[in-house]
Amino acid sequence: MNEENIEKLAHEWITAPADKIDIESEYFCQTRDVFEARNNRTPETLIKGGIDKSLAYIIYAMSGELGNNSFDHNLGNWPDIPGAFFAFDYDGKNGCLIIADRGIGVLNSLRKALPNLKDDKEALEIAFTKKISSRVLENRGNGLKFIKSNVLEKNLFLQFISGKAQVSLNHEMKLSETENPIKGCLAILKF
Amino acid sequence: MKIEIKKYGDKLVSRPSGREAFLAMESYILKDLPKNESIEIDFSGVKALTPSWADEVITKIAEKFENVKLLNTENATVQATLKTLREYSDLKI
Repeated sequence: MNEENIEKLAHEWITAPADKIDIESEYFCQTRDVFEARNNRTPETLIKGGIDKSLAYIIYAMSGELGNNSFDHNLGNWPDIPGAFFAFDYDGKNGCLIIADRGIGVLNSLRKALPNLKDDKEALEIAFTKKISSRVLENRGNGLKFIKSNVLEKNLFLQFISGKAQVSLNHEMKLSETENPIKGCLAILKF
Repeated sequence: MKIEIKKYGDKLVSRPSGREAFLAMESYILKDLPKNESIEIDFSGVKALTPSWADEVITKIAEKFENVKLLNTENATVQATLKTLREYSDLKI
């Protein structure tokens, strides 16, 4: 499936009513184990497609952080459908990797640790730039900073949407309101 | 004491699998070692590492022991992970 189609499918998956979700889809990972098993094939598939080996493992590590975040921050708290949408495409020149979840989103997740957060925008800014974790019992949570650092260093592009806010990241980070708010998180990585 | 990270896998991504690795290390190889024991963490053979996995293992080893050295850290994901942990997780090595 090409880039445009997986983006469309991800948007449909994250915005559809819960009873319309195709949980049989090959892109749906209901548990972390399913996500891990599918993601585990990512670097070899990309390398076979001709991508630089070092970049393939960086993309795999970023994908691992994004997908595991979905499960780390939503376990036991999924509003409707538990799990993550995961798909990628590489045509030998350009690639796109998408991870989406219908979870509680960055704002609700961070509010457990920072109850005074005012909106989605502030939550995303903190998630991408400040030392903090929303899992109250863990003073950790560096996945999005790791992703930001790799996007900047490898000249990649990331669009990350949660609630009403979005981050666009390549050589700089732009924070804005999105026209299409979502519940949960949607990450689109282009390489 | 040398810890060969590749013995725990060559793609080291999730926090739960990092936790499991650290529990195994604590039970079998780190048990009863004094705080000043020299610990070498060898990353040779590792294909991918993330901050989530490393935070459960490398950060904890660095908190537990005074003399920790990192070996063979050339892999790009290992470099990027260590950079993130030094910047955001108080990793001092």
